[in-house]
Amino acid sequence: MQAETRVYPIRERSNAIVAASQSRRLALAAGLPTRRAMELAIVVSELASNIVKHGVKGEIRITWDPDSPPHGELVVEAHDVGPPIHDLELAMTDGYDDRGPIDPALILRRRGLGTGLGAVARLCDRVEYRQEEGGKVVTARFFAR
Amino acid sequence: MSESEEPNVVVTSERLQSVIEALSYASVDEFDSCLALLQRAGETKDEFSELETAFSIFVRELGEAKSELNRTVSQQEAINRELEAKLETIEMQQAAIRELSTPIIEVWASVLCLPVVGIVDSQRSAEMTETLLETIVSKQARMAIVDITGIDVMDTKTADHFIKMARAVRLLGAECIISGINPGIAQTLTHIGVDLTGIRTLRSLRDALQLYLRETEQLVVHQHSQLARKLSSEG
Repeated sequence: MQAETRVYPIRERSNAIVAASQSRRLALAAGLPTRRAMELAIVVSELASNIVKHGVKGEIRITWDPDSPPHGELVVEAHDVGPPIHDLELAMTDGYDDRGPIDPALILRRRGLGTGLGAVARLCDRVEYRQEEGGKVVTARFFAR
Repeated sequence: MSESEEPNVVVTSERLQSVIEALSYASVDEFDSCLALLQRAGETKDEFSELETAFSIFVRELGEAKSELNRTVSQQEAINRELEAKLETIEMQQAAIRELSTPIIEVWASVLCLPVVGIVDSQRSAEMTETLLETIVSKQARMAIVDITGIDVMDTKTADHFIKMARAVRLLGAECIISGINPGIAQTLTHIGVDLTGIRTLRSLRDALQLYLRETEQLVVHQHSQLARKLSSEG
């Protein structure tokens, strides 16, 4: 079986909702347990929400690679053209963005909790980050077991 | 051009006039009238009639091209209209999705219910809090039931935020009950050591409603007896 990639363009909130619910189906079809599929959907939702909020525009790419050792993996890639993440480790800390702690008032104004990337890190098996020409990519991997 | 070797072509002004007329028909897309004129004019065979024939062929082809173009344009317009209708549908659906993500129902007088289904991420839980708190104020609700029966998995921080939402509701002078917590989320909540004092949790939405009814029963009985007294004093 070949690796299969689905692409979901993200521009506004409803795109994020659609991408998340579709990714859950994809995960279930790939044979991930229900709970794991739900965790993947939350990760997609967090990453897509981040694109809407900070990334200007972008897309979520979900790839199911059954040949990846040992039992295959589902890869979620969040591409966007927004500014780079200054410090990923800091950004993954709850209540922090890429430059330090977020003022609680600002968190409210941003209409979030400041815990999105933290949730991504907690729920997936591995997070990677790279900068590309004209944008950045956050990758979250889910290993099938 | 040498005058002796190439004789002039003599054309009556009438024929010339009809060609000019045909040209003016063609210029306003009246190709049928144009062709009819040319056909009549082309009955005399001479050098000038060759020009008329060439002209009529050109006009016929132009007419065909023009009608083909019109067909394509009208097809394109139909397609555009269809696309616009589809875009409109998509926009409406997007609005519907946004609305459906936080439905707040007034299930009873001054009792709000927020049924949470689907995927809850940090942004959605923040939006829910905002909408719920605003609705509690605008509807002057006394109780809010947040039913999370439909949620199997939540990130620890998001779960923590739900508890904070319950506390915020209490700050507004209403009570918040969280119903339908499943085993996974119960574990998550205790695992992160959330302080649950003062937070009422019930097994189901039904239990939550029953609790409200029991609690308001006394109040209702009291109000009824007051009303009865008022009526009897008036009567």
